[in-house]
Amino acid sequence: MDIGPGLNRSDRTGGASNNGKSPPGDRLRRYSRPMMFILIAAVLGGSLWAGVARVRKEALLRSSAFIQNSTDSVSPPSSAFTPAHASFSDALREYLGLQSTPVQPIAFNHKIHIQKQHMECTGCHSGAPLGPDAGIPSVTFCMACHQVIAAQNPEIKKLAAYAAKGQDVPWQRVYWFYPDKHVRFWHSPHIRAGVACSECHGDVSQQTVAVRSKDLTMNFCLNCHWAKGVSVDCTTCHY
Amino acid sequence: MKRRDFLKISAIGGAAFTIEGCRDHGTQFIRFIPEETLVPGVAVWRPGVCNQCSAGCGLQVKVMQGDAEVVRNGQPGLIKMGLPKKLEGNPQHPVNHGKLCARGQAGLQVTYNPDRIQQPLKRTGERGNGQFVQIGWDEAIESLVAHLTPLASEQSPRALAFLTRPLTGQRRTLVERFLSGFTSAQMASFEPFDDSVLREANQLSFGYRQLPTFDLARSNYVISFGADFLGTWNSPVAQNVGYGTMRQGRSGNRGKFVQIECRMSQTGANADEWISARTGTEGHLALALAHVILKEHLVKVESAGIAGSRIDGWRTGLPDYSPDAVASKTGVAPEIITRLAREIATTGPGVVIVGGAPLAQTNGLFTALAVNVLNELLGSVGRPGGLFFSPALPLGESNRSSASVVEPKLISVRSLAEQILSIHGPQAIKLLFVNGANPVFAAPPGWGVREALDKVPFIVSFGNFMDETSKLADLILPDHSYLESWMDDVPESGTLEAVLSIAPPAMLPLHETRALPDLLLDVARRLGGQASKALPWKSYEEMLQATFTPLRHSPGSVAADTDEEFWGKLKEQGGWWSINRGAPRKSSSPVGSFTPVKSEDPTWDGPATEYPFQFLPYVSQQFLDGTHANLPWMQELPEVLSTAIWSSWVEINPQTAARLAIKQGDLLELSSQHGKLRAPAWLSPGIAPDVLAMPVGQGHEEYGRYATGRGANPFQILAKQMETATGSLAWASTRVRVARVGVGDLILFSGGPTELDEEKLRR
Repeated sequence: MDIGPGLNRSDRTGGASNNGKSPPGDRLRRYSRPMMFILIAAVLGGSLWAGVARVRKEALLRSSAFIQNSTDSVSPPSSAFTPAHASFSDALREYLGLQSTPVQPIAFNHKIHIQKQHMECTGCHSGAPLGPDAGIPSVTFCMACHQVIAAQNPEIKKLAAYAAKGQDVPWQRVYWFYPDKHVRFWHSPHIRAGVACSECHGDVSQQTVAVRSKDLTMNFCLNCHWAKGVSVDCTTCHY
Repeated sequence: MKRRDFLKISAIGGAAFTIEGCRDHGTQFIRFIPEETLVPGVAVWRPGVCNQCSAGCGLQVKVMQGDAEVVRNGQPGLIKMGLPKKLEGNPQHPVNHGKLCARGQAGLQVTYNPDRIQQPLKRTGERGNGQFVQIGWDEAIESLVAHLTPLASEQSPRALAFLTRPLTGQRRTLVERFLSGFTSAQMASFEPFDDSVLREANQLSFGYRQLPTFDLARSNYVISFGADFLGTWNSPVAQNVGYGTMRQGRSGNRGKFVQIECRMSQTGANADEWISARTGTEGHLALALAHVILKEHLVKVESAGIAGSRIDGWRTGLPDYSPDAVASKTGVAPEIITRLAREIATTGPGVVIVGGAPLAQTNGLFTALAVNVLNELLGSVGRPGGLFFSPALPLGESNRSSASVVEPKLISVRSLAEQILSIHGPQAIKLLFVNGANPVFAAPPGWGVREALDKVPFIVSFGNFMDETSKLADLILPDHSYLESWMDDVPESGTLEAVLSIAPPAMLPLHETRALPDLLLDVARRLGGQASKALPWKSYEEMLQATFTPLRHSPGSVAADTDEEFWGKLKEQGGWWSINRGAPRKSSSPVGSFTPVKSEDPTWDGPATEYPFQFLPYVSQQFLDGTHANLPWMQELPEVLSTAIWSSWVEINPQTAARLAIKQGDLLELSSQHGKLRAPAWLSPGIAPDVLAMPVGQGHEEYGRYATGRGANPFQILAKQMETATGSLAWASTRVRVARVGVGDLILFSGGPTELDEEKLRR
């Protein structure tokens, strides 16, 4: 199109034009290989860093020194509620709803206890029919049997070591909610309503160390609430 | 590189960090094995007894499982335990009827206070430097026993003394029996605002050395001389409950309430009529009212009994106390006196209350006896709507064990200090126990408590907190907080029935502290001899059970067929109260011959020409005598009339302030003959022009992070003047002068800065 004498297309477009330059899509092709290398390096570097961090943490776990969270500050975290996060990656993970797999201090084997010993869920997690939190038994509860039973097993020896030191086993939560979702879950009304443990926690009798087999998102809860005709008012769970 | 590429790489690199993902959630702490299991998230309510003042209200403690950050054997960690989360009143308790005052609510902060002493401490540096090292209990008890053994076996009289806040219940009995193992041991009970003058007057007038209980719920006319009975005096919650019924619980009948004082207190602000009278003249005013009632034959002239015989001139109708005669002395017009007398005599039932500053004068006993006579004349003693004395528990002397126990000699703190300073050699005090008393802070400097404590060779403190007195100790053996202890109390007043408050600990101990009673039992056992003979129980719980199980046989709130069942139910209910309103406790000392008191004027410390103002340190609603200054909820609680928080101030009449060119917030310096202090001014129209008032409780030099270095301490300028008859401290009889020394610290008001303060901020 003729736009008049003395005016170039590049003037109209403020200087940006394709004169003498490659087409836009071509830039991506040109930089794609170096970008790929950088991406791989970043992922590898990140995993290496994470691996190193975990090894360091497990070493701390094994020692009986006072253990801190991974920010490595010396003072214990305040139990006061705050929406602030310890780091950017923490905040990002929460935003994306990511929950990591916990590392348990002792490889507790659900399969043996449930299938072989025929223990019920509420035998150990006794708070479930009674209140909000199902709870986890203290080391004295476990030692009642394991003073004798399978005492030579290396995991049981770890258990006995905690008991001998007068410490409770630092179990890590498998199912939990981020605190600033302000969601409160009470086990007892669900047990009372006849909801089986496996509906939310999966078939734990097949698991050794407990892993999160279902992601307890709000959608997951709502599906069941809708199906059963139970209240879906906000303040039923968020208060 | 180009900017866009930089941004792309940064974004991808950042995302890579989040993918590593396998980070553990939560913190890794050492967890100690829990010692009790509660259902998580479900509250249990346990009974308790409040210890924040001497009223002895019953508590309900809400306990839930939680994680507590504790230290065990030097190792920090977490422990799951039942933790009190909220305190409420016990609805069945006859003293507080389910209510609880602000100080009672703040009891949680006593237990969870970060400044609590968590472990035994031993002094390392010079005494008073506050240098302590943590030691274990074994070492601590061995040290204590080592110091006590020579004092128990050798015949060294008066080697041991026990300085304590007033002890009640079996705790007192236990300490007395412990001290009986030491020849001529002495016990000094310290309470800065004690009511010993009133008790003495009640003993003389009515035969009961006891604080009175007021049946406000059925009263139609109440006159109170300076008693802050709705705030801090006597049994505040019980009085509040009664007052509420009087004013709103009887349809159409509000009664009338008159408060007569020189500074408007929180209680006075509720009055229908508030009358300003000169401090120290309330006795004359009361007798003027009596004079009018007698002269106009407004009541049937009944014998006023013993109470009347205490006042000179009673039989002749109190001729010296006509309204005109007392008008100029008291500052109350004769018409008002006459009117009040007519009103109260014809609007029955009426009752007259006196407490606080009027009795803290050199003529305090005269004032109290005068008010007692007025009550007797109005027919209010022992009648509905009047005053009563809480009955004793129907236990008799059965709680004394077979071993005869010599009671320790009771001595005032003032005399204790004098004794320490004056007596040297083998008769001197060698070991002093300090239990929850802080006379270095709360006693007038003239008593010389600080100097006396410096001279004692060995001081052992059982306190929960490091305060000015405990800082001088050589060994600190921290007691549990009261929610962690077996508590028992027989309230001295507040009920018409006999009451025992008793409760087991509501929680396991948070720190490595030990209950004082159990500690003394342990030490007594190790010492052997008379002390262990007098204390045959293995634990305090056992002693309480043995003492109180006989109550099963009296008709009361707990019924059971066996002793075990009774004890179980008693522990659940948090107390026992009688069904019948029994006889008041008889006082032990005989009513001897007593010269009837003549008109007595108060004397003041400091000549009026140089010290023109009366100084009134008043018991603060938040801190009482300073004990609760380390509770941040109490610092945050606005003082009722000024709304001031976290501050110290001097209340000054606005006309006086204008005359002296003092503005709100100006820093004042108050000087008495004994000391100086500085605090900002608060202009209050509710205070007499020649009185300066100041709340007590701030000005601590050592009391934790919330109280230390905050405000000014009125005790430090008080004279050691005594009430003439009883020898108790006349804390309202000091005169001061005031000077403006500049623009001062602003008083923090809970409503935020006023315009006046903002102007000062800009200055």
